[in-house]
Amino acid sequence: MSDIKPKISVSNLNVFYGSKQAIFDINMSINSKEVTAFIGPSGCGKSTLLRCFNRMNDLIDICKINGSIKLDDLEVYSKKIDIVRLRTRVGMVFQKPNPFPKSIYDNVAYGPKIHGLCKDVSELDGIVEKSLQSAGLWEEVKDRLHEPGTGISGGQQQRLCIARAIATNPEVILMDEPCSALDPIATAKVEELIDSLKKNFTIIIVTHNMQQAARVSQKTAFFHLGALIEFGNTDKVFTSPEKEKTSDYITGRFG
Amino acid sequence: MNKEFLNKRYKKEKRFILIGRVAVSLTIIFLVILLGSILLRGISGFYTTNIFLTTNLSQEIIDPENKKNVEEIYKSSWRKIARNSIYDVLSAFNKSKNIDKISRKDKRDFLKLFSRSSEFYIRDFTLENLDSIGKEVKISIPSSSLVDQFLKGKINIAVNEDDRPINDKQISWINFMVENKMIERKFNINFFYKGDSRNAEEAGILGAIVGSFFVILVAIIVAFPVGVMSAIYLEEFAPKNKITNIIEVNINNLAAVPSIVFGLLGLAIFLNFFGLPRSSPLAGGLVLALMTLPTIIISSRVAIKSVPPSIREAAMGIGASKMQSVFHHVIPLAVPGILTGTIIGMARALGETAPLLMMGMVAFIVDVPQSITDPSTVLPAQIFLWSDQPERGFEEKTAAATIILLVFLLTMNALAVFLRYKYERKW
Repeated sequence: MSDIKPKISVSNLNVFYGSKQAIFDINMSINSKEVTAFIGPSGCGKSTLLRCFNRMNDLIDICKINGSIKLDDLEVYSKKIDIVRLRTRVGMVFQKPNPFPKSIYDNVAYGPKIHGLCKDVSELDGIVEKSLQSAGLWEEVKDRLHEPGTGISGGQQQRLCIARAIATNPEVILMDEPCSALDPIATAKVEELIDSLKKNFTIIIVTHNMQQAARVSQKTAFFHLGALIEFGNTDKVFTSPEKEKTSDYITGRFG
Repeated sequence: MNKEFLNKRYKKEKRFILIGRVAVSLTIIFLVILLGSILLRGISGFYTTNIFLTTNLSQEIIDPENKKNVEEIYKSSWRKIARNSIYDVLSAFNKSKNIDKISRKDKRDFLKLFSRSSEFYIRDFTLENLDSIGKEVKISIPSSSLVDQFLKGKINIAVNEDDRPINDKQISWINFMVENKMIERKFNINFFYKGDSRNAEEAGILGAIVGSFFVILVAIIVAFPVGVMSAIYLEEFAPKNKITNIIEVNINNLAAVPSIVFGLLGLAIFLNFFGLPRSSPLAGGLVLALMTLPTIIISSRVAIKSVPPSIREAAMGIGASKMQSVFHHVIPLAVPGILTGTIIGMARALGETAPLLMMGMVAFIVDVPQSITDPSTVLPAQIFLWSDQPERGFEEKTAAATIILLVFLLTMNALAVFLRYKYERKW
């Protein structure tokens, strides 16, 4: 495993909300073009860690971070970094589908537009179509691209948000419990989509659903009270965990 | 469950609903009484009484050499022509009643039945119809407010002759004119086309409307951008520290400051320090802008705050800068709230008199203002001025002007509601 260069490497990361420490000394490396699942009970810091990767925690004033996160060779928390560039490389999908109250087309086109990724309208149309196709939504919405993105079903909205995230062609996609607001059928669709996206993207997914983690991920990290308890191949974590806490959580004894 | 206990709960609910209904009905009753009394009093103000006066446009007096020179005609002795034709009516009356003598007092009293500007109506008619010089024409001129009020039944004639503004002789003259079909009741165009006047029949509201328009224009041009920008900055960009906290608290305090204090501030700063023209809509508008700023800032901040954070996160998540996320996503969603707040703030400014008192805008101004630096007055100030006039005719003018003001206010509020529904988007 050491011969593969990790996409993201975290070393000695501590995160504080005011005086409360949320994440304790985490070291991990995440491989390229794999799905990594973060699991753990509520409040264990998995979402906080996820939001460190694209610096979404900057929106919270009292959040303080020390340690290092590297995206390839780029230090994410260096002062010189351009956050806007970083976020084009690290896209994000949120817990609740949050399409902009604009048309489906504009939702997907917004990213490429503000980053100047397209020269003309036909190129933009191409990006929109490609993104929607990758998100498995094209067939369902191609006839109503100019209807509001908030008018489609919840599952479709979440796939629209995924299409929006991949439209800027990021390297990493962060997913913060993307299926927690969806019904089982929509969830299955999104899971299929995640599986197909891992060819081109590095995906990190936070989930409360153990089966989901087992289904979609290659690597699983288990967090508890802000600490990384166990991190390894998903098969191994679920079938023969090394730590007692992990097996307790997975078998439903707490959490 | 205990049945008695359950019944008690139902009764409590019923009592509460009853109290609520009583409160709502009380409000509606008061509103109806208020609007009803204003309408009843004001509607008659939109009508006025004219008298058909048969006028001999004497060639000798107007244009003895038949030059048809407009300037010379303009300067002729129109008062003499007006008086002659008015006294002719009096003579006709006396003839019908077999009275020979016309006393000076009678003449004076009879003149009081006609508008003091009768002669100008005759002059303007003649200038428009130069062919009619030397002929006898029938011109409709406004009656005095006295006749108007008498015919509208607003003067109590049951009291002693000395205690009322109109005497018995005048009443018999008016009745004579009515019998001879010389009286015409018509829509009061003057009310909408003229500025203020000392004569009730001549007084109009155009000056005040234009003044109000200029004041609101200045106020909106200054307050809207400043207020909205402040709100956006404070809500989205300002660091959350002690200084911004103090600013926030003070903005909230400013919203509660009595409006006359803003007038004093305006007097000190705009008039005394910057030397802006007194009584001008420019100075008045700036004061009202200051007064509405806190309202606009507060309502805009509420509107911005109510945009769900998920929209911001979504924009930031795909790499929009703070500025882009605010201006592309947050502001469009906050627009209905911002506009509603602004319109309601402006409606409040439109109804404001106290701060303008200090700026010299509560004043008798006859000319309709042509620019924002001309002296002018505003609608509520005009209402206040008229309500202070002793003459009967101004009472209905006051109510009529109030109706106009209410129409403007209701229109603005309706616009606010309309904008809210039109641009409200769901997410």
